[in-house]
Amino acid sequence: MPAPALVEVAGLSKVFSRGDRRVEALLDLSLAVRAGEFVTVVGPSGCGKSTFLHLLGGFIPPSGGVMRVNGQEVRGPGPDRGVMFQELALFPWRTVLGNVVWGLEAQGRPRAERLAIAERYLDLVGLLPFKDAYPAELSGGMKQRVALARTLAFDPAVLLMDEPFGALDAQTRELMQEELQRIWLATGKTVLFVTHDVEEAVYLGDRVLVFSARPGRIKAEVAVPFPRPRSLEVKKSEAFHEVRNRVWDLLREEVLKLSAEGAGAPAAGARAPGERPRGRPTGPGGAP
Amino acid sequence: MTREALALVVAVLALWQGLALAHLLPPYLTSPAVVLGELLRLTRSGELLLHSAVSLYRSAAGFALGAGLGVGLGLLAGVWRRLGDAVEPLVALTYPVPKVAFLPILLVWFGISDTSKILLIALSTVFPCYIAAFYGVRAVDPLWVWAAQNMGAGRGRVFLRVLLPGAAVHIFSGLRVALALAFILMVASELIGSSNRLGLGFLILSADAGGRFDLMFAAILVIAVLGFAADRLLLAVRRRLLAGSVLLEEAHRG
Repeated sequence: MPAPALVEVAGLSKVFSRGDRRVEALLDLSLAVRAGEFVTVVGPSGCGKSTFLHLLGGFIPPSGGVMRVNGQEVRGPGPDRGVMFQELALFPWRTVLGNVVWGLEAQGRPRAERLAIAERYLDLVGLLPFKDAYPAELSGGMKQRVALARTLAFDPAVLLMDEPFGALDAQTRELMQEELQRIWLATGKTVLFVTHDVEEAVYLGDRVLVFSARPGRIKAEVAVPFPRPRSLEVKKSEAFHEVRNRVWDLLREEVLKLSAEGAGAPAAGARAPGERPRGRPTGPGGAP
Repeated sequence: MTREALALVVAVLALWQGLALAHLLPPYLTSPAVVLGELLRLTRSGELLLHSAVSLYRSAAGFALGAGLGVGLGLLAGVWRRLGDAVEPLVALTYPVPKVAFLPILLVWFGISDTSKILLIALSTVFPCYIAAFYGVRAVDPLWVWAAQNMGAGRGRVFLRVLLPGAAVHIFSGLRVALALAFILMVASELIGSSNRLGLGFLILSADAGGRFDLMFAAILVIAVLGFAADRLLLAVRRRLLAGSVLLEEAHRG
């Protein structure tokens, strides 16, 4: 018996219209994520993968379809889904600790409890010594950890991560991937993780969902069989390269489709508020 | 103050004093020593404290009224889009008008009393504060609002804990401009006259009438020092309240 689905999406579609221009961002998207699963999503630029997280986050309304989290239909933003934005959206006027307790304040938890929970998660991401620093004083990787701790602290049922490591340099990015896996294993959270980096998707995911070019649909699903915890060494193995190449081939078809249409970048009207233009998918490092 | 800045001040004062001693200056430029003597006399007699207190009261009252109203309305217009868009042309039209132009009307209504001065200062300070708060709210990163909603915050909490602190850096810029305007209009309104014959601007007016240029320079010096001190106080409050945002701003700049 498979575990019941924590996140269920059925027939989800989203059309952005501005004036008489209509852009179909997502079309008839369906998926299910089991509790405790780590699912990664890759897709070409502008395929609607960020839009998908924004819909699931409840920030923008869908044009059709149903989304359920823990059996509850999604009707707006709420703390059962912890969203981590690519831009992080840390509050610069608050200290690290101030950022992490924010969600607990909104839930009206008593002060002592807030501090205890926040310090526990800051310790988990290794930033307890920096609790009184301001975000502006931290490096990119440290800010990522603060954002992760802030999201974990209000105890969402599922983490929705929108290219959270997209702005990091290659080394920091790898360390954060390993770190995220460790934290995921420690907390047992369910994660839906969007990225344009195929290697990242394969390293982190139990399953990789490959989105098609716009309108976004799930083109294929690739299971990743490697046991946990995965060390970064796994990326060097033959088996890893095989899975990575399979995902990359699926993705490349979509990217080529896009460039054949001459529509590599999403139309301005297709972007949701807060959405930023994304880079193109990165290919396998030394592929011919 | 850097060593160069200090040296420059000393050099200017020394040059002024030297030219005065050599009788190369017209009488209305007096000399630093004479101005300093007058300043000491004013301090000892208690006049300086009285005039300064009255002027500060007028500036502070006008500033508080104008800033309170401006920031409040600006926040409201920033949050409530339709209101902001509706009043935008009116604000854009009246903002560039020097508010001193309204002084004759205020004088007809309230005479040369404290009331007309305070209202003139309020009228001038309300605009920069309104505009700063309005654009401050609109410039708040929409992702901050999404992040807050994601953590379960309702409208009230989003306003108090995201929009207000998010706009605070802009609001303080507006307050700083408004503070300078409050001093300028305090002096300007007192130069027209003062019903109780008090105020630093009125001191300049009476010095002019009596040909007392030493007194005039002394009053100008006090205005400069008070304005400088008020600005530094505001910056200190800003740094205290907005440490994290100020750090961010500095990181962007440099």
